[in-house]
Amino acid sequence: MSSPILTIARAEARLHLRRRAWAVLLGLFAVLLLTAAVLNQVRQSRERAQQAAYQDLVRAQWEGQPDRHPHRVAHYGTFAFKSPGPLAALDPGVDAYAGRIQFLEAHRQNAANFAEASQLSSAFRLGELTPAFVLQAVLPLLLVVLGFQAMTGERESGRLRLLASAGLPLRTIALGKALGLATAAAPFLALGALTGLVQLGLDPAAPLAQPGGTARAMLFAVAVLAHTLAWIVFIIAVSGRLARSAPAGAVLLVAWLATVVVLPRAAAAAADALHPLPDKTSFAAAVTAEVRAQGDSHDPNDEHFRELRERMLAEHGVDRVEDLPVNYGAIVMAEGEKLSAETFARHLAALGRTQNAQAAVVDGVAWVAPYLAARRLSTAAAGTDLTAQLAFQREAEAFRYEFVQELNTLQRDKIVYGGDPDQRLSADHWSRFADFRATPPALADSLRGTAVAWSALLAWIAVPFLVLLRPAPPSAS
Amino acid sequence: MKSWIQLCLWEARQLLRGGALRWVCGALLAAGLLALWSGDRRLARHASEIAGLPGHLTTQMEAVARQFTPDGEAGYVAYYAFLPTHHPLAPLAALSVGLRDVVPSVIWVRLLGLEGQLYEADLGNPALQALGNFDFAFVCCVLAPLALLLLGHDALARERDAGRLPLLAAQGVSLGRLLAIRVLLAWGAVAATLALTFALAVPWVGLSVDALTLTWFGTALGHLAVWAALAALVAAAARSVATSLAVSLAGWIGAVVLLPAVLNLALVTALPVSDGLEITVRQRQETHGAWDRPRADVMNAFFAHRPQWADTPPVTGRFAWRWYYAMHEMSDRSVADLGRTYRANLRARQDALIRFAWLAPSAYAQLRLNHLARTDLDAHLAYLDEVRAFHERLRDHFYPLVFADARITPADYAAFPAYAPPASPVSAAPPPFWPLLLTGIAALFATHRFLQRPILS
Repeated sequence: MSSPILTIARAEARLHLRRRAWAVLLGLFAVLLLTAAVLNQVRQSRERAQQAAYQDLVRAQWEGQPDRHPHRVAHYGTFAFKSPGPLAALDPGVDAYAGRIQFLEAHRQNAANFAEASQLSSAFRLGELTPAFVLQAVLPLLLVVLGFQAMTGERESGRLRLLASAGLPLRTIALGKALGLATAAAPFLALGALTGLVQLGLDPAAPLAQPGGTARAMLFAVAVLAHTLAWIVFIIAVSGRLARSAPAGAVLLVAWLATVVVLPRAAAAAADALHPLPDKTSFAAAVTAEVRAQGDSHDPNDEHFRELRERMLAEHGVDRVEDLPVNYGAIVMAEGEKLSAETFARHLAALGRTQNAQAAVVDGVAWVAPYLAARRLSTAAAGTDLTAQLAFQREAEAFRYEFVQELNTLQRDKIVYGGDPDQRLSADHWSRFADFRATPPALADSLRGTAVAWSALLAWIAVPFLVLLRPAPPSAS
Repeated sequence: MKSWIQLCLWEARQLLRGGALRWVCGALLAAGLLALWSGDRRLARHASEIAGLPGHLTTQMEAVARQFTPDGEAGYVAYYAFLPTHHPLAPLAALSVGLRDVVPSVIWVRLLGLEGQLYEADLGNPALQALGNFDFAFVCCVLAPLALLLLGHDALARERDAGRLPLLAAQGVSLGRLLAIRVLLAWGAVAATLALTFALAVPWVGLSVDALTLTWFGTALGHLAVWAALAALVAAAARSVATSLAVSLAGWIGAVVLLPAVLNLALVTALPVSDGLEITVRQRQETHGAWDRPRADVMNAFFAHRPQWADTPPVTGRFAWRWYYAMHEMSDRSVADLGRTYRANLRARQDALIRFAWLAPSAYAQLRLNHLARTDLDAHLAYLDEVRAFHERLRDHFYPLVFADARITPADYAAFPAYAPPASPVSAAPPPFWPLLLTGIAALFATHRFLQRPILS
């Protein structure tokens, strides 16, 4: 490396580190970051504790069931709890807005419920204060305040002309300034890394010890670093192209405001307009109509299941379903469950596709708003993105199906068809049922579909870098 | 007096000539229009969902008729008859969405236990919800204060930076007067931009210009005036443009992001609300437990609340519809306390919020705007109360049929209770404006103190 770059970088960094503004901003950043870290940690651990308590309660209630008819138990149902994402303490992502608990029972697909957001008071939708928000949204703003005069200041004071006439290429100066700003930013990032590591270390779920945990933390760090780098390059590029400090500051501030505050919300509005979700009534009505057309599985004489009946009778060489060696009612029930579960899965998948299409629109906006790219990547790394939520819903639905069919099998084998309606299975059957356990999202799944975000972030480093290499000539206007 | 006017005109000309005004107000206007577009879409979508409800109800009842004619056993028909309720969006809701994108606006209920039917989530995309809403309240409470700060923060510092301040003072120009004029002009420019957007909103989203609407916009402008006082404070305190800009931004982030978030988490931590899951879990235990208890126990407990059915013949077999619905009503009663506590806790949190939110003017103003637009937590809880009252009507309608083992034929469907939202929903008083006023006055007082400092120090 040419040493003039380093010389300028060193001078610039020293200048930054001596400024009172730098210390003030670092203090502000530290306060924000620590507040975010502590509050999120508190919230996380409370949520985890509450969920664990509910899980225990529900399990105790499950095992405490008396002798019951298996179909009663299928409606008594069970619950699927979604655990927070691996790095939720750093970036809770969609967790507060997504249903965390799903009630699972026979023939019904209940929505994932009890999202925290519906309990929040309405004033607080301004962006959650999380470590990820401080690193991705606040830090760039502080860097703007630190760096907007980096080139224009020199230009206004005439020093740029002086340096140029001393034979120093402008791009060398610009590169040195960028390196200087990066040096000034380093303590901020170091503080972020330290806080993040302490948070993850203190997390009782020990996210770093989990499979893929370290890779997730690294990924999170890389996303933050790349995004910060994009802003450093962008700041110096803008400062290098403009003649005076005031417009440079204004352009950078507007860019921050647009990309961090305005565009994310605008992107959400656009995504909603381009790929509207069905309203709940229409969605539920479509599912109900389809399931209804499949017949009533509670009624063994339903005509829709005639073929099944004929087949069963022929298979066992009997004339009446009552003479079958197994409970025919349960077989119809299982068949109905299979059909309705296919319907549920298909509609759920269609809903998920629309939600993913909406997310893709937001990803597209990331080309002009790198904050969205950084956010996409950090929520993916944290396992708190839409992908993880949809995976939870799919998994819960699959578990529901298995759960209900297991009970149908018990009914088929142990309950006599057409016998005493008050027949029951003994209570010791219930403890053999396992609880739902959410699989933590696999790293590969989290990374799928993040190519656009990575590319957008790289483009936000590359394009401003090309501009940075061509500063405007030093003549101050 | 004359010099005031002259100075005003001169400053107004300067402001209009500068590029900052055009950029800042242009961007604010664009943001406002985007907010109106998004709000209007929300209203239209809501209207189409409401308009679709009767059609969905007809389809459902046709299917019930096919399945249960000719028997029409009352218990069965009631079991499958889901009836729609809805929480209408007022036109003002297009301007402040509040909670309305995360809580359901339509709830279908049937004769079964109600509490378990109240907390179903709406369809939504959490990835979009997490990004936040782009409504006009956001423009007024978050973006407009920033615009005002950008225009007014350096009212004195730019003179100081240019070395003109002692000169101005020597000429007898009152710094307080200069500051007041500049900040007021900045407020006027931003307020005019908001007013233009608001005027467009009237025909666009169909606002009626009444006292409520004007109170809403008055709150937005009043909140902006508080920020004008804060901008004056920054301008009086800061000694250079760089400082005033840094202080403005820090203050804005603090007031808009940090304080609300800290306040929120502090309240959530101090006033925990056990969520609706507790209600669901308890009710599940009750309804399924009832199958394992003597039928007479449930019926006797039920008769204690509904003596008019005490004379009905005892339930002897394993199943009777009247026992089934009695058991469901008893399950509602068993969780009534939990439901009341849940709502009381949410209200207590909301009250505490209002008590402390003046610390963060933007959040406080949004609370007030959402309350006026009936999109806040209060409005949702009031809707849930309406649904409870409607469900009571379902019981009044169906119990005589169920207890008489009557038949319900398709001709009877038209007599089912139909939900109508209250014409004038009851509403508590909105959070008062005076806490914001106090903040503004305190800021002005501090500004005055700063202006007493010697100019050259």
